[in-house]
Amino acid sequence: MSQVTIAHRRRKSLPPGDPHGYGEAADRSDRHPEEEGSSVTKRRMWVLLPIVALGLAACGGGDDGGDEGAATPEETGAAGGGEGLTVGVSWNNFNEERWAKADERGMLDVFGEEGVEYISTDAGSSVEQQATDIENLISQGADALIVLAQDGTAVLPSVEAAADQGIPVIAYDRLIETDKAFYLTFDNVEVGRMQARAIYDLVPEGNYVFIKGNSADANADFLRSGQEEVLTELAGCEAITPDNPDPNCPIKNVGESYTDNWAGEVAQQNMEQFLTQNNNDVDAVISSNDGMALGVIAALEAQGLAGSVPVSGQDGDAANLNNIALGNQAVDVWKNALELGRVAADIAVQLAGGTTFEEVSLTGDYGDSAPAAGPDAQPFETPGGTTVWSIILTPIPITQDNLDVVIDAGWVTQDEVCQGDVDTAAVPACA
Amino acid sequence: MATDVSPTTAAPTEQPKRRSAGSLLRSMEIDPRLLGMIVALAAIWIIFQVASGGTFLTPRNLWNLTVQTASVGIMATGMVLVIVSRNIDLSVGSMLALVGTAMALLQARILPEWLGLGHPMIWVITLLAGVALGAVIGAFQGFIVAYVGVPAFIVTLGGLLVWRGVAWWLSSGQTIAPMDPRFSVLGGGSNGTIGGTLTWVLAVLVCVGLIAVLVNGRRRKKKYDFALRPLWADMAIGVVGCGLVLGGVYVLNQYPLPANLAQRQIEAEGGTYTGQEIPLGLANPVVIMLAVGLIMAFIATRLRFGRYVFAIGGNPEAANLGGIKTRWTIVRVFMLMGILVAIAAAVQIARLNAATSGLGQLNELYVIAAAVIGGTSLSGGVGTIPGALLGALVAQSLQSGMVLLGVDAPVQDIVVGIVLVTAVALDSIYRRRVT
Amino acid sequence: MTATADLGAARAAPSGTPLVEMRDIRVAFGGVHAVDGVTVDLYPGEVVALVGGNGAGKTTLIKTLSGAHKADSGQILIDGKPVSITNPRDARDLGVETIYQTLALADNIDAPSNVFLGRELRSRFGTLDDTAMESETRELMSRLNPRFQNFKVPVSSLSGGQRQSVAIARAVHFNARVLIMDEPTAALGPAETEEVRQLIRQLRQEGLGIFLISHDIHDVFDLSDRISVMLQGKLVGTVNKTDVTQDEVLAMIIAGKQPGDVTEEDIADLHR
Repeated sequence: MSQVTIAHRRRKSLPPGDPHGYGEAADRSDRHPEEEGSSVTKRRMWVLLPIVALGLAACGGGDDGGDEGAATPEETGAAGGGEGLTVGVSWNNFNEERWAKADERGMLDVFGEEGVEYISTDAGSSVEQQATDIENLISQGADALIVLAQDGTAVLPSVEAAADQGIPVIAYDRLIETDKAFYLTFDNVEVGRMQARAIYDLVPEGNYVFIKGNSADANADFLRSGQEEVLTELAGCEAITPDNPDPNCPIKNVGESYTDNWAGEVAQQNMEQFLTQNNNDVDAVISSNDGMALGVIAALEAQGLAGSVPVSGQDGDAANLNNIALGNQAVDVWKNALELGRVAADIAVQLAGGTTFEEVSLTGDYGDSAPAAGPDAQPFETPGGTTVWSIILTPIPITQDNLDVVIDAGWVTQDEVCQGDVDTAAVPACA
Repeated sequence: MATDVSPTTAAPTEQPKRRSAGSLLRSMEIDPRLLGMIVALAAIWIIFQVASGGTFLTPRNLWNLTVQTASVGIMATGMVLVIVSRNIDLSVGSMLALVGTAMALLQARILPEWLGLGHPMIWVITLLAGVALGAVIGAFQGFIVAYVGVPAFIVTLGGLLVWRGVAWWLSSGQTIAPMDPRFSVLGGGSNGTIGGTLTWVLAVLVCVGLIAVLVNGRRRKKKYDFALRPLWADMAIGVVGCGLVLGGVYVLNQYPLPANLAQRQIEAEGGTYTGQEIPLGLANPVVIMLAVGLIMAFIATRLRFGRYVFAIGGNPEAANLGGIKTRWTIVRVFMLMGILVAIAAAVQIARLNAATSGLGQLNELYVIAAAVIGGTSLSGGVGTIPGALLGALVAQSLQSGMVLLGVDAPVQDIVVGIVLVTAVALDSIYRRRVT
Repeated sequence: MTATADLGAARAAPSGTPLVEMRDIRVAFGGVHAVDGVTVDLYPGEVVALVGGNGAGKTTLIKTLSGAHKADSGQILIDGKPVSITNPRDARDLGVETIYQTLALADNIDAPSNVFLGRELRSRFGTLDDTAMESETRELMSRLNPRFQNFKVPVSSLSGGQRQSVAIARAVHFNARVLIMDEPTAALGPAETEEVRQLIRQLRQEGLGIFLISHDIHDVFDLSDRISVMLQGKLVGTVNKTDVTQDEVLAMIIAGKQPGDVTEEDIADLHR
């Protein structure tokens, strides 16, 4: 549900004697001949004026606006390039682990340094709500918008309207099919490639199951296409999709499905059915994210196959990193969302300050996550055929060998990762 | 209209050929709707069996099916009483999220600090705390409905929003994992079953219990000089009932522990593995569901509380005039629902071995659908516990079967929706024809 | 004081301690005085008819005795002792049973369950003893309505007369001393109405006191000993049946006129 903090104050309240707002109409005596005429109207207008004035005063004088404990200071010490600017962020559903923990934190770090005001909304997974939220952010005075789209197609009208009003929009992490939005994401195709590479190294031939993401999310298909690209190349096959299997391919696709809402429970059920269908003859599972990987691991565990059937994931959730240490999950492609947030803030400040999409160039040091193509904005060809300006960050595959990367970055603690019966010989980070 | 639909039938010598199927059923005192549901379930199973090329009715898939049904089944028994009393509970999924998150936090973070990781009492304390929390939340909602007078739809709609928010506030959206090892056996899995032998024991007990109920029924009726069900009818029910129970258990017991785990277990006991099959038996969630079903059926039909719930559903004014404490009864109905939600939450987080922020999403719809498919009328006063369990099984069979067939998720939703409406339509047509 | 054993013959004004006394009862809903200082009484073995037009307040008055509604002020005495009746249970405990106009039956449960609603018989384990309840109900019905057979079906599938028998059975089974009947024959056919009348006469003979609310003046004159008339919340008066004519009672009901004040013209008006 939306957590818009101040937009509602903008709504004009009507004077008590005028429940339908006929204030103006009452002025025209031909409409309401029985009205006492101008004296009533004047009285109403005098009542109306202070209320409108109050409303404008409340909205105009800035406020925190942020939510989820993000106490954004209105002024900060450093005379940052963003002072006086406001950036609005439209979250699709704040109810998930990473947004508050990482993305928002990264954004606030940079906004704090630059003295930018941060306002945000939460659409609670509702497409309609997000449309309203974007309008609200604009009316609250955002100079640039960062939009994490619930549905990359449904949000188009709102985004295009914002762009037409001269407010630059960043499509954050999820694609919005329009060149009026700046696309900032991790290379999701590369995530898929990394997942596939890691699994292929362990299982170069056998039966594979593909647990895909939410069918309405473009990322689900990006990931799958990256997985497909690598597997076909490394295994020397034409295709590993269920509808045109290559009979000579050492890798056989014995199960593939989208997963409603990327939910672990749904993935668990689907995995149980795939195991049943194939009588447990499954050698590897490419799960597109961590939540679903938990469900897959639970289903494998029930069959005594956890640990012997490699599973992939993405997001770097603490529980899954622990599973990597325990050997139940083979790879977790980590996208340093802290850096993604920082980059988004970096770009937003530039765009709000008047930089065009083409001229965007990253000013910070983003370590291993830095874009492979360099700090400048790059053109990107979307599946729908549009060319958008973009910055694509680099994901990092985490396996038992490099768990220290996530620990050192402050993403998780060693205790969280090394819980349980971890074989310290196999996991140096837990030694 | 004083038609004599007497429960007795004449002795079989009185023109048996003239009797229709309907009166035959009536003479056996079996609810035709329940029978209709069993027939529908059988039809669905057969269709999926054929369409899946023989995979659906395998012991393994049926075993999985029972586990997948457990959580919704447990909650559906409580929802029956809620709906019967002319109320509704839309907050079930969100309550589950809150109680599940709380239990996960307790066992994964809080209790290990106090008692040490792996302490044997962790699961007990967690479960009791969860049940208590569910009862409190349920009673709270019930209080607002009964004593403050806000319609249940609104109260539980508010709950749907509030409890999930509180859950998220507790967990900050993080996934909490893993669960305590003793707790996680509540979710099933390879070490979360009761084993083949115990399952047979239970089955025999149920069969004996069924026969005892039939015998006792005859005895009491004789004592009061009532007309008895014909002996052949009682025997038929006994035979069929026992047959179903024992047959079902036989099929489920065909599903063994996976080979590698069996090997591990046998070798750990010092034996040699030569391919022996160790039957898993009923999974713990299924045992819990069946126990809950029995207890709830007992409450609904044999206790005053259950009778009062039905009376309130039939005519709240009459219940009040009859001196029934209707408001207190409503509070208890919601409290019971809360307890069942807590049990279902325990099963769910144990099964996934994690509590995610999406826990229980949309569960209220499945639970209500299960109750309604099972014959509970949304206008109140009518519903059965076995019906709700069957309804849950029907809904889950549809979903699992469709996944087995590779049907897309959106199409699955369409099918379940159509089946729900059809079931209710058939039920109301039947009701109109009978009354 | 002639006491006749003749069924249907009226009795003379009763004496002794009334079974029920309702003194100066007031009930107000918002600003409306539904019952405005009404005093009536009832002696054992008599039928007092409570009559009046719509909105006269008869049902509300009687609800204060049956526990369905609490009086705002006033006193109720049973056997001369003041009692407090705040809910239906209190009334039942005092031996006051009510047959409501709507019958107050739960349609989805069967006849025995309705008869014992709120007073279920239980086995020694605390569970419901449905068989015992059915058995007692069968016995009851054999006396009240011998043709009644459907003991296991929900009462919604019974006829109006059968449902009435269930409500009556419930009222008479628990050693009632006072019976309140609100329009008992309103929904019944002639044969069933006669059965109810017989029952009332019989119960009266057994010493029960019966408050009868009825709009059927014929029934009132046939069955009752005294008639209390209400109009717009107030008591117009209580008369012995033998002292008044039907027209006079009608004048009381419609115009609130005391029997002595009724003229020939008034009567002509009534019949126009």
